[in-house]
Amino acid sequence: MSETLLDVQGLTVAFGFGPGRNMAVDGLSFSLSPGETLAIVGESGSGKSVSSLALLGLLPRQGATIERGTAHFHGRDLLQMSDAERRKVRGNRIAMIFQEPMTSLTPVLRIGLQLTEGLVEHAGMSQKEAADKAREMLRLVDLDDPPRRMRQFPHELSGGMRQRVMIAMAMAMEPDILIADEPTTALDVTVQAQILDLMRDLQARFGTAIILITHDMGVVAEMADRVVVMNNGVKVEQGDVKTLFASPQDPYTRRLLAAVPRLGRLAESQGPRQVVAEPSPVGETVLRAEGLCKTFAGRGGLFSRGIGTLAMSDVSFELRAGETLALVGESGSGKSTSGRAVLRLIDVDEGRIDLQGVNLRMLGRSALRKARRGMQMVFQDPFASLNPRMRVGRLVAEPMLIHAIASGSELEDRVAALLVRVGMEADHMRRYPHEFSGGQRQRLCIARALGVGPKVIVADEPTSALDVSVQAQVLELMLELQQSLGLAYLFISHDMAVVEEVAHRVAVMRQGRIVEMGPRRDVLNSPRHPYTAALLAAVPKADPTATRGKLPTLDLGTLPMGALQEVEPGHWVAT
Amino acid sequence: MTTETIDTAAQPVPSSQALVALFRSPSGAVGLAIVGILVLCAIFAPYLAPHDPLRMASGPRLDSPSLAHWMGTDQLGRDVLSRVIYGSRLTLMIGTIAVGISLTAGLLLGLVAGYASGWAERILMRIVDVLFSFTEIVIALACIAILGVGLVNAMIAIGIASIPFYARVTHSIVLVEKNKPYFESAVAAGAGHLRLIFIHLLPNVIPTLIVIGTLGVSTAVLAAAGLSFLGLGAQPPQPEWGFMLSSSRDLIARAPWMMVFPGLAIAITVLGFNLLGDGVREVLDPRQRAR
Amino acid sequence: MLKFLVQRLLAALVTIWVATILVTILIHLVPGDPVRIMYSGFQTTDAQIEEIRTRLGLDQPIYIQYFMYLGRVLHGDLGDSIVGAQPVLDTLLQRFPATLLLTVTSLSIAVVVGGSLGFFAAYRRGTVWDFGAMTLAIAGVSMPHFWLGLILLFLFSMYLGWIPVGGGGWLSLILPTMTLGLANAAVLARLTRSAMIDIFDQDFVRTAHAKGLPKALVLYRHALRSGLVPIVAMLGLQFAYLMGGAIVIENVFAWNGVGRLAIQAVFARDYPLIQGFILFFATVVALASVVIDLLYAWLDPRIRYGQ
Repeated sequence: MSETLLDVQGLTVAFGFGPGRNMAVDGLSFSLSPGETLAIVGESGSGKSVSSLALLGLLPRQGATIERGTAHFHGRDLLQMSDAERRKVRGNRIAMIFQEPMTSLTPVLRIGLQLTEGLVEHAGMSQKEAADKAREMLRLVDLDDPPRRMRQFPHELSGGMRQRVMIAMAMAMEPDILIADEPTTALDVTVQAQILDLMRDLQARFGTAIILITHDMGVVAEMADRVVVMNNGVKVEQGDVKTLFASPQDPYTRRLLAAVPRLGRLAESQGPRQVVAEPSPVGETVLRAEGLCKTFAGRGGLFSRGIGTLAMSDVSFELRAGETLALVGESGSGKSTSGRAVLRLIDVDEGRIDLQGVNLRMLGRSALRKARRGMQMVFQDPFASLNPRMRVGRLVAEPMLIHAIASGSELEDRVAALLVRVGMEADHMRRYPHEFSGGQRQRLCIARALGVGPKVIVADEPTSALDVSVQAQVLELMLELQQSLGLAYLFISHDMAVVEEVAHRVAVMRQGRIVEMGPRRDVLNSPRHPYTAALLAAVPKADPTATRGKLPTLDLGTLPMGALQEVEPGHWVAT
Repeated sequence: MTTETIDTAAQPVPSSQALVALFRSPSGAVGLAIVGILVLCAIFAPYLAPHDPLRMASGPRLDSPSLAHWMGTDQLGRDVLSRVIYGSRLTLMIGTIAVGISLTAGLLLGLVAGYASGWAERILMRIVDVLFSFTEIVIALACIAILGVGLVNAMIAIGIASIPFYARVTHSIVLVEKNKPYFESAVAAGAGHLRLIFIHLLPNVIPTLIVIGTLGVSTAVLAAAGLSFLGLGAQPPQPEWGFMLSSSRDLIARAPWMMVFPGLAIAITVLGFNLLGDGVREVLDPRQRAR
Repeated sequence: MLKFLVQRLLAALVTIWVATILVTILIHLVPGDPVRIMYSGFQTTDAQIEEIRTRLGLDQPIYIQYFMYLGRVLHGDLGDSIVGAQPVLDTLLQRFPATLLLTVTSLSIAVVVGGSLGFFAAYRRGTVWDFGAMTLAIAGVSMPHFWLGLILLFLFSMYLGWIPVGGGGWLSLILPTMTLGLANAAVLARLTRSAMIDIFDQDFVRTAHAKGLPKALVLYRHALRSGLVPIVAMLGLQFAYLMGGAIVIENVFAWNGVGRLAIQAVFARDYPLIQGFILFFATVVALASVVIDLLYAWLDPRIRYGQ
């Protein structure tokens, strides 16, 4: 039996003072063996990050207190050490990487310096020795041309590359433990897969134990040996990963696992799950987009035009009543731009947009405003989507007020009915948005969109900012509304598993073009375009028994990005 | 990324709670107290001042502070204490009216420019930026050069001089708010220009402007005192504090105490509005709290 | 970086150009007859007034006036001062070095004193030191700088007699620069503290700590170096404020710079001098901003090395 590397007992961290203080972590105990990967899982507010920050002494000085607990590492208690002693452990024996690679590197210092300073400090190396080691680490994390990277500044690297640099920095001293706090959450799914592979490789090479903090059960299934589940600061369950997934004991764990959208669950069925007794059938075309093109002007100076960004190129699709077309892609694919374009929130350079037969691009300002009744939008960020200074009732009523659908007490009744419809209460009308949680706010956004009776709702990543358990509820609501009212959704997302749950048809986008489009079952189960295949392969499966093979290498140079061709009825692929 | 933390940034505070919260913050409470005393001084000046501020020879000339004249007398025998008390009226008047002018004009300018976008915005803000780079003193001097000296002219000059500042602040807030999803949501709902400007943008601009405006009163008071000190603002025999300071300059050898009291009055007033502004900021805009 | 600087230079030129327009309009905003007002202190006949009006081009339509003025300006002719009976540009250039010396020295004092105070307060955020420093700063900000000048004048010139009143020489530079510098130091202290607190809250500072680097290293190499960027960005504005403040301080200390000249011009309704002064002031501030922008661009690798 291998000895325990880290033994945490009864860790308790509180924010604030007095009886009403926030117990961010309460009595957490776990152990870590050398070379193993322990996942700490939880939703936001579970205390998963706070516990690791506490171990390393990185909690903010004011307001955060470690009340009790021990953390034995190499025979010493981390929590009892002096600042100077803990500093010798940080970045040396225990390293940590964080979630946001875009802001985690110092913008004014070169990469090389940021890599070498830890080595100089902990290993006492000279500048030259440290530089050699740094270049070696950059090679290990698969960054090309290490000498050039050393001289670069963080802003010259992409998010994925920066995260590789962070990993290189962390692993340079070959630490016993690597704490990774949501290391891939801010990255595209293909990049995520690469980073996770990289972490596994380095772990195998250096024998480092990893504490992986995450909310993504797919990542857990892929990476972890053992799992600790936390809820509201308390550990609710722990165990071997296979056992946990197969037979979770705690009700919270069971709820969490059930809520996770798993790719492949609906593989056989034609469309989304049926949630109402008599769902509206898919009807006539309500929205048609043809040949949409949009280039954003460059940030040229007074005289130069600057290089523009191609956001959309020849985007065409159709949407019918009662169906959901999902636009899928990574960042920069043009999916959000397309969503805004069909609503004419931004103006395209070329193309045609027909809403119920009316050419939207031809409409004058006031005609356009009237036409907006037929199409509404739900946004990604539930916190910024509602005017913080308006009461909820007014917010939900506003579209109806604008289009003079109702007024006075009739309006109030309608608002009340809408609130109930989306699972809220009528007297929530008088409250302000900040009094509600993210999931509730998203329901409010949906209620607001429904009031005018639109035919099309464009949903831009409506659940990406929500916790997994809340996500499932909001998706359920959207499905229910679609099936009872015959709504058409243009559902924009980067999450394939979510898409599988809600979509009838799927369009995959890359760099402003649609590369594949067709019925959900066909596109997701037997993709015809290499990019779609790569996207699907990169999605971490929430099943610890299924190992994901190495990612199919994508030759970006030869990807077919041309016009769409119908390879099967209704299934189009770029040539 | 999942963040379920409740957003504390943009919470509207009902006005009843706002006042209470203001009392709780230390700077707010002290600021409120100082401003309160100032306002009372101004309102009840006739009852508080022991002498007529304009009456010459109410005491010996250039008398040092004594029991009869707590702050001494000036070179014409007028009681300094009374002049200081009456000066609070002029100070308050200048401060509030000047800020009123700049805030209203600047708000409208920034709002329209920010909403309009396109070339109209560019031209408007370019002119505003140029005026802003002249600094307030220079614009005020230019206005005085046009209008002539005098307290009212100084007030107008300061009011005009600060317009670019408020326009820029408003404009930058409008730019931020325009890019937030709730604004797009209103556009998607079919809202027209008036609704977008007055129901969505304006309420989100006003809290910051209240903070800036409160702090702006202190800037206006300092500017007015400065202009009067130079002789361009208040004219004799007005008991304006800046003007009293300029008279004290020549008497610095004979009567050094003369410069203490008006200067102290200005400093305390400005301090009061600064503290009040900081306190208001904590209440209305916790995200931008002075920490 | 080159593109950035060219943009800034062009913006400065546009500013100066707009200034010429505004300055031309200025005279026409005067209620009444500007020529009579200008020469109200002299004895003139009607014929002389008309002759002056023609000479100044004030009888022409405004756009022709503007081009006349612009033409003259580009040849370095800002008109003649009524009071001094000397070309405006010469007068301004004579007195400008004194103001520049005052402004630059004061800015240096403000940066050193205010920057250190603000940085220190941010580092010791929430402690008694922070509170003390910020109390000092807010008192400094609230104090009229001309009052501070009077107090220092009294203390060091009259009472202690260390520094002679008036006169030239290095010694007489001390009081005005101390006054202006300390007044602005209070402003800079607050701004610096705010900027540094923002920096300390950034993710990359947490990363630096997580690497186990010594606190001093994190403070200076990561935090301070990053904080320099927003702080330098503020300095352009502070320079302008200092130039404006110099106008008043020059009057307190009888310092012979352009500020003192400007006030005399306003009293005398010497419009050519006032116009020239405004244009001159705007030009100096615009060019100084370009210089500071150069420094800012050099400090921020995102601009220096482009996107």
